[in-house]
Amino acid sequence: MTYGWNGKRLRVDLSSGKVTIEEIPERFREKWLGGRGFNSAVLYEEVGPDVEPFDPDNRLIFGVGPLTGTFSPSSGRTTITSRSPLQYPSGHGDANMGGHFGAELKYAGYDQIVIQGKASHPVYLWINDDKVEIRDARHLWGKRVSVSDAMIKEELRDQDMHIALIGPAGENMVRFACIINDVSRAAGRTGMGAVMGSKNLKAIAVRGSNPVCVADPKGFFRVCADLRERMRSDPMVQMLYDQGTWLLTMPANYEQGWFCWRNFQKGFHPEASKLSGENHRDNFLAHREGCFACPICCGRYSRIGNGEYAGERGGGPEYETLTAVGPKIGLLDPGSVIHNSFLLNEYGMDSCSCGGAIAWAMECWEKGLLDEKDTGGISLEWGDQKTIDRLLHMIANREGFGSILAEGAYRSAMHFNRGFEYTMTIKGHEMSQDDPRGLGFAFGIGFATGRRGADHLQGLPCLELTGAFYPGLVEKVLGTKEAEERLSTVKKPQMQKYQEDVKAVGDSLTMCTFTHSWSFAVLPEDMAAILSAAVGRQYSPEELIHIGGRIVHLERAYWNRVLVGRLEDKNPERFTKEPMPEGPNKGTVFPEKELLPKYYEVRGWDSETGFPKEEVLHDYDLESVAIDLRPYRQAYLKRLESLGT
Amino acid sequence: MAQKMLVVDYSKCTGCRTCEMACSLYREGKCSPALSRNRVVKFEVEGVNVPTTCANCGKPYCMLICPMKAIVIDNRTGAVVVNEEKCVGCRACAVACPLGQANYHPERKVAIKCDLCGGDPQCVRFCPSGAISYQTMDQSLMNKRRQFFSRILQEGVS
Repeated sequence: MTYGWNGKRLRVDLSSGKVTIEEIPERFREKWLGGRGFNSAVLYEEVGPDVEPFDPDNRLIFGVGPLTGTFSPSSGRTTITSRSPLQYPSGHGDANMGGHFGAELKYAGYDQIVIQGKASHPVYLWINDDKVEIRDARHLWGKRVSVSDAMIKEELRDQDMHIALIGPAGENMVRFACIINDVSRAAGRTGMGAVMGSKNLKAIAVRGSNPVCVADPKGFFRVCADLRERMRSDPMVQMLYDQGTWLLTMPANYEQGWFCWRNFQKGFHPEASKLSGENHRDNFLAHREGCFACPICCGRYSRIGNGEYAGERGGGPEYETLTAVGPKIGLLDPGSVIHNSFLLNEYGMDSCSCGGAIAWAMECWEKGLLDEKDTGGISLEWGDQKTIDRLLHMIANREGFGSILAEGAYRSAMHFNRGFEYTMTIKGHEMSQDDPRGLGFAFGIGFATGRRGADHLQGLPCLELTGAFYPGLVEKVLGTKEAEERLSTVKKPQMQKYQEDVKAVGDSLTMCTFTHSWSFAVLPEDMAAILSAAVGRQYSPEELIHIGGRIVHLERAYWNRVLVGRLEDKNPERFTKEPMPEGPNKGTVFPEKELLPKYYEVRGWDSETGFPKEEVLHDYDLESVAIDLRPYRQAYLKRLESLGT
Repeated sequence: MAQKMLVVDYSKCTGCRTCEMACSLYREGKCSPALSRNRVVKFEVEGVNVPTTCANCGKPYCMLICPMKAIVIDNRTGAVVVNEEKCVGCRACAVACPLGQANYHPERKVAIKCDLCGGDPQCVRFCPSGAISYQTMDQSLMNKRRQFFSRILQEGVS
């Protein structure tokens, strides 16, 4: 009997229709923990640099961890991993979703699903404990998310299953299509929905009846209970419950100056308060939503009371979405923003990247780089909701100009061969709405070097944002209180390293980032205690952080294998060259040149190539990876030489 | 003294199902919604979550129908409790309960149902939103009345 983990991987080959169940050996479990760690290890092993994202040989991997589906707080998350069709060049893609799908997958008896091959026609997967069926989905193709979800439940006569699926955007292989479960919980980033669409896989429906057993039920209950009580009195948890992530708007704009306005032209807008957490709570919030067994319940269910979209209702949005299809494209009307977020959910598109592609086009229009000939007669004025609404439909359905934007901001610039300076992307992946010129300098390091390309969730290094709420914490972790300052460079490489390792552990267990890296109610020692009680083997916080570091390095090696290293670790020039024009941190740029070499040093990465040094890979028991990387390291050095850098 | 009971306010429920985990782990030592005494019924599209718990009725159908007289009322808490020694697993209680609150243990093959955790219900202890509370009916109704009239008061003042 296994505790915590199920120790089983479901492998589905859509080309042959073959379904197999594989054991996940103890050594593998202990080396990679679960969720993100499991997935990254399988992706590295099975999807080499010669496999293109839309090749049938690419894998689409769903992973959960030893704590998923238990009483452990906020531990119902799922990581989805694949080679990303959105990044340029294509590298390590992963996205993470809350909801209840992950817990159900555990009850069905699995820790991981690996999808490979490509079905000859649209299908969906029905996992009912050990009964696994590939079913026809032709009648679901083209249907929006909530409709497909309802049709599958009706057809299988079970309203209590949980379904991860794609909408029309995924079917049309919009490069930033996402995968959604429970109708509104998205695994948004890096285009995982496009990979699912490329495999002709509409949905995975899961129902499970098995319990998750833990080694020490009484001890496990006690640790979880203590943590839940601590979370109840945690200031960040309380704020997240009250206002959701909307709570960020006011401090982001008025105090910290990183409110993303018009493709990051500014970090401040005098009327940002229209999108405040108070305004949403008092005028749009129908009720709060919680992911599986989560005491934070930052999820929102919104209802639009008046205006053009009166009567619309649905799950979301959260801060990144409301800013992506809001201020990033020049829009501050909350009703329009919420409507846009509903459309994104129904079509199944990532808000950050979709907003990023539109923001790119609008800035090119403003600067005269695009005109009506390019857009098929559409004018692209900032904040014009009629156009935005129309573009969202056109992108998802790949109509006209929308089909170009559906390739993402970077490939759109390639299509027109101009406007590269306005693609706010890193490695071809659009920024989430977080500007390092205000949010903080550790964040900037994570953007440049992270596994997804531009994304705040490489480490969510909130020690520099909310660390001061926890007296003594920053000093304890980093040895100095100075690192609490967002725009100080002191110890920021160390902070990013620490937080990305901890987050890799959280994503693997799978425990929500908000428990341990925004609120700091859960510390690595708590993760160790909870995991030890669950699986019946003693883990120390140091050991967990070491495993987190191993995961980060394997993902880095994935990038290195597609010849991405130091040169590509680069924030958009707007962040490093254009001083913030106004607002609370007017004049700030992100000091990338100063911080990245220090980060490489702290991580043990080679200062020339940005590849992890062999001895560091050895420290993480990644000897075979060190050998794998040798030819790529040589090739990268050759490229540096030819570029004369 | 009036006995406390489980009171549900579905408008507060976030659908997180913490109650299911608290219940199944505390009572069964395993994490499993199917072993939980209480379940949340979710309507994701409509955005409605209904936490359902045993009412621990005054004249419980489950008790009245039980052919083995295995179900009794605990006078201290008012909970309707299954004596697993006597229970034969016929599931008559599950048929009889109009609220669907008499569950069945697939391995022990006996009825399982809410017994208020002996007066310290764990679902209430861990519910993050206060959707399930443990109070006397009078107290619960006074809260409801107060909520209703403070809204009227507020609207009147502004």
